[in-house]
Amino acid sequence: MRLLPLVFIARRHLVHSAFRTFISVVGVAIGDCFMILMSSLMAGFETTFVQETIESSPHVTILDEQRDPPDEFAGWLSRESGGVATVESARPRERIYRIKKPLETLAAVRAREGIAAAAMNVVGTSILNFGSREVGAQLVGIDPEEQDRVVSTDQYMRSGRLADLHSASGAIVLGSGLAERLGVRRGDTVGAALHAPGSSARSSAGAIASASTAGRSRALRVVGVFHTGIVTIDGARAYTLINLAQQLLGLGRDVNRIVLRLDDHEQAREVAADLETMVGYRTESWQEQNANFLAIFTIQKVITYVVTGGITIVAAFGILNVLIMLVLEKLPEIAMLKSMGYTAADVTVVFLLEGLTIAALGVLFGTIGGYWLQQFLGALPIPMKGLIETEHLTFVDPPRVYLVATLASFVSTILAACLPSLKAGRLDPVVTLRGRA
Amino acid sequence: MAPRATSVTAPASSAPPALRVRGLCRTLGEGDAALEILHGIDLEIGRGEFCAIMGPSGSGKSTLMYLLGALDRPTAGEVRVDGVETGDFSPAELAQVRNAKIGFVFQFHYLMPEFTALENVMMPMLKSAMARRAARERARELLALLGLAGKENRIPARLSGGEQQRVAIARSLANRPLVLLGDEPTGNLDTKNGELVFQVFERLAREENQTIVVVTHDPRLAARTQRVVRLTDGAVVDDGPPRDVLARAGEVH
Repeated sequence: MRLLPLVFIARRHLVHSAFRTFISVVGVAIGDCFMILMSSLMAGFETTFVQETIESSPHVTILDEQRDPPDEFAGWLSRESGGVATVESARPRERIYRIKKPLETLAAVRAREGIAAAAMNVVGTSILNFGSREVGAQLVGIDPEEQDRVVSTDQYMRSGRLADLHSASGAIVLGSGLAERLGVRRGDTVGAALHAPGSSARSSAGAIASASTAGRSRALRVVGVFHTGIVTIDGARAYTLINLAQQLLGLGRDVNRIVLRLDDHEQAREVAADLETMVGYRTESWQEQNANFLAIFTIQKVITYVVTGGITIVAAFGILNVLIMLVLEKLPEIAMLKSMGYTAADVTVVFLLEGLTIAALGVLFGTIGGYWLQQFLGALPIPMKGLIETEHLTFVDPPRVYLVATLASFVSTILAACLPSLKAGRLDPVVTLRGRA
Repeated sequence: MAPRATSVTAPASSAPPALRVRGLCRTLGEGDAALEILHGIDLEIGRGEFCAIMGPSGSGKSTLMYLLGALDRPTAGEVRVDGVETGDFSPAELAQVRNAKIGFVFQFHYLMPEFTALENVMMPMLKSAMARRAARERARELLALLGLAGKENRIPARLSGGEQQRVAIARSLANRPLVLLGDEPTGNLDTKNGELVFQVFERLAREENQTIVVVTHDPRLAARTQRVVRLTDGAVVDDGPPRDVLARAGEVH
């Protein structure tokens, strides 16, 4: 097969019907462009969330729960007596959950490879009050310097510094959401009642109802406000000094969390599992703590691909339409080409070349358009406050985004071009000529 | 592309007839709707012959033309183009035969509207692997031969009906075909333009010794050929010099 005349014919068809070609190219370009845009927007959203999360939450948290909880008396008795004696309605013993000998554990963890930093935390749920306002919060007792090495906090301070916790005897740093809801600013004094989190109430909201009954209340001075952009953190977390929290919770020298930063945050799951066997306490990776949100991203990706896939298919049907029209319009010329010796394959290739050109141009303009729209939309001030808080839309465009869009647009367009092209090749010239003679 | 079609070059001394068909049958449609258009046609067209095929509408003239030009396959019988039987040729090989040996001119010109007259004439040559420059030169010569010098770069829409048909003739001659097949080539033209086109055929036959088979309704045109074949209901009913055949048909002028 000689391509030269086929290219010659295909090119002339496209140039001659410039408007039709333009429409087809625009169809492909829009599909491609939106696929890029949606993918990079979703990727941007997810990346932002993950980055903010791994910056403002520990990569791995060691909790104050034993892997193998100590025996309750009732269970022990029943087992030892061979089931002769049982205790009905046995209630679990009141116990303060804690990590004992935290410094030894801390030293052991720090010695492990891949751990960038580790710090001790004392976490309790608390009710903060300011005047008549009461807001539940997760109060975290920290050592400011060590904490900042694990969880970047200082860089998110809106007012004051994390180190200012040392400045007063009872100091507290609030998340921006908390401060807003309480209506306090730096320098105000809030009341705090602290309660150690039960095993079922690690996250702030759950055990707040019972927290107010715990009683140990202190007046704390607000020395700073931080703002990470992650709404769930800003609206719930407050920091105070670790020894104050230990005192409020009656933990003595013990703590109930050890938080870690890893060299590679992607390793969190493995490291967490590893540490669990090593220290004997339950551990959680950041992925585990944010499993709900990460699951949303997966669903979001599926939706993105369904929608953009739909756009691509619609564009492909556009191409199909245009090419079918073109073939019908060119029936006499196809017959003539065959009568002068062009084969079915030649004719098919002519129309395939046209589809290919439309696909190539569409992808080219779609890619340029997608890239440009990202820049444009990314620069628009669009403040959003949802799962994360941003001032702009965030786009992340790894080469994969363009590659997937290019492939999808190309494949769908070529598939759409195949049908009319093959039909054109198979046309019997005699049927056409007889119909017109 | 098709070794058989290109390798067979008969020696000039015993050159076979340009076209020869034996027992040619063609049935259109299938099952109950099947209709035999041609019933066993035997015909031989010699080299350099200028032959007219006449007959009433529906007598199978066009069908015969498509079979002679290897554009269609017979239901039964054989077609020999330049002495080569084409019965078991693949579609691509038949296309090669058409490209190398046959030039078609139809009632409509079927020029490609996006291409200039020159480019239209170049199309068969580009298919036959001729260099572009050579093809352009030959196309220019052919257009000049047909009195279209200076109109090479016009698109078909800017040519008159007669000019369009002459471009179509130039295109059919592009690859120096063994046979020029015209299916009512003047049927769509007014008398003056039809006359002009027919003069081109006469000149090609006389000066270039071009083999031409032309279907026509017009006995006055048929009278100017060397041989007339009359077709009725899919069978050859008369064959001979124009004067005799037309006389027998009662159409002498």
